[in-house]
Amino acid sequence: MELALTPTAAPLANCLTWLGTAPSAVLCEAPSGMSATLSKLMQVIATKLGDPVAVMCAVGAVALVFLMRPNKSGVRMGATVLALAAFAGLFVEVIKRASTGDEAGVPPVFPVIFGFLALAGAVRMITHPRPVFAALYFILVVIATGGMFLLLGAEFMAFALIIVYAGAILITYMFVLMLAQQSPVEGAGEAWYDRMPREAVPAVFVGFLMVSTLTDAYFSPEAQAFRTAASEQTAEAGAQEGWAALESMPKLLLETAQRKNPQVASVERLEVSGMNATLAATLADGSGAMIELDPSYLPDNGRQVGVDLVSKYPAGLEIAGVVLLMALFGAVILARKQIELGEDERRGLAGMRRFTVEGEAGGTGGIR
Amino acid sequence: MNHPAILAASDAQIVNGALLVSALLFTCGLIGFLSRRNMIIMFLCTELMFQAAALAMIAFGKVHHDVSGQVFVIFILTVAAAEAALALGLVVLLYRRRETLDSEAWSELREAA
Repeated sequence: MELALTPTAAPLANCLTWLGTAPSAVLCEAPSGMSATLSKLMQVIATKLGDPVAVMCAVGAVALVFLMRPNKSGVRMGATVLALAAFAGLFVEVIKRASTGDEAGVPPVFPVIFGFLALAGAVRMITHPRPVFAALYFILVVIATGGMFLLLGAEFMAFALIIVYAGAILITYMFVLMLAQQSPVEGAGEAWYDRMPREAVPAVFVGFLMVSTLTDAYFSPEAQAFRTAASEQTAEAGAQEGWAALESMPKLLLETAQRKNPQVASVERLEVSGMNATLAATLADGSGAMIELDPSYLPDNGRQVGVDLVSKYPAGLEIAGVVLLMALFGAVILARKQIELGEDERRGLAGMRRFTVEGEAGGTGGIR
Repeated sequence: MNHPAILAASDAQIVNGALLVSALLFTCGLIGFLSRRNMIIMFLCTELMFQAAALAMIAFGKVHHDVSGQVFVIFILTVAAAEAALALGLVVLLYRRRETLDSEAWSELREAA
């Protein structure tokens, strides 16, 4: 990944070494150092102009500026088409870089659908003038991301995400919107601060820098090669971790063995070799047997995540519980109504003797 | 995963798509946080950035054949829930003071005269 970052990082590194040299050297060499850095920067910009990913990002950024401002519907329509084209171009380019050529001719349909839904929802969320609709579009983003999780083989997290985010967190947001939303009169429209973005152009420019750096780091040929190599190297270790998880669940181990061979009465031990595993088992008639298991008998995603969570990160799990508890306390303390108490009431609450007697007019009774 | 349409896409293609979506979602969240004035929407945009981080975690977990990426997403969900509870409590508190959700109303950090 370090290799992947060099084209973007080179001018920055130059600047840093230039700043780090002795002040006298800086005074003498400043012009040449500056011009060298500048020319390098120009080179990087020139290569970026030839890079379709960076160009698509720039097109999308321009479209987003027009979408964020309250414009005429024609302008908005044009910007939407432009943004869609930019996203489609980006997706095609990025998928093309991962293709090895031996895939079937069908384009990857589901990643495109979910990616498009997520992006459209996100853009609409940050451009919609009504906060409630923005929250609803965020639910669309959550569901599309859940679909992405499913495609990546993370079934448990996909449904956990939808339940926790769309079901719990977003409902909290909705309630707060209803508590704090100001709707003066019917038909008065949205509040001005929801219609006018603050500094849209600098914000989109920062976002453009961010996304071009990220895509540069993710999709350069070096990063692509790194990911392919890492994927090949870790496939076996991943399967072995799965077998270890299976071994730590005796009941599931027995069930898995019985799925392969219904005669199995008890299991002794699991031996892993490469992606596969061999299970020494005793059959119902008392004889021993070796059962070969291939990776399709690995525990499912939810079980693997559960074993990983409690066996590798028990401290993190505990701390997560403490974080949630503290957030609960914090929210209760923040949101309760603050009542001004007089000196006398505070004395009473603290269990001290009050200055005034109940029922008497305040202050006139004096100190008893 | 035996459906032909999913089968047509290799793992590397799905990972690339997910990474692209993750980068773009994070950027959308960043832009929204910088440019929206409504405090609730600003916090909603941080949730969008959490989503993008979670997606990147799972995509890289897929690359490295490691379920730890998914475990980290559980922690992200925890922090997001805690953050939502606290942030929304703060927003309700701020709304009670100024009767507006505009973050510009708080550009001068001092007690009301």
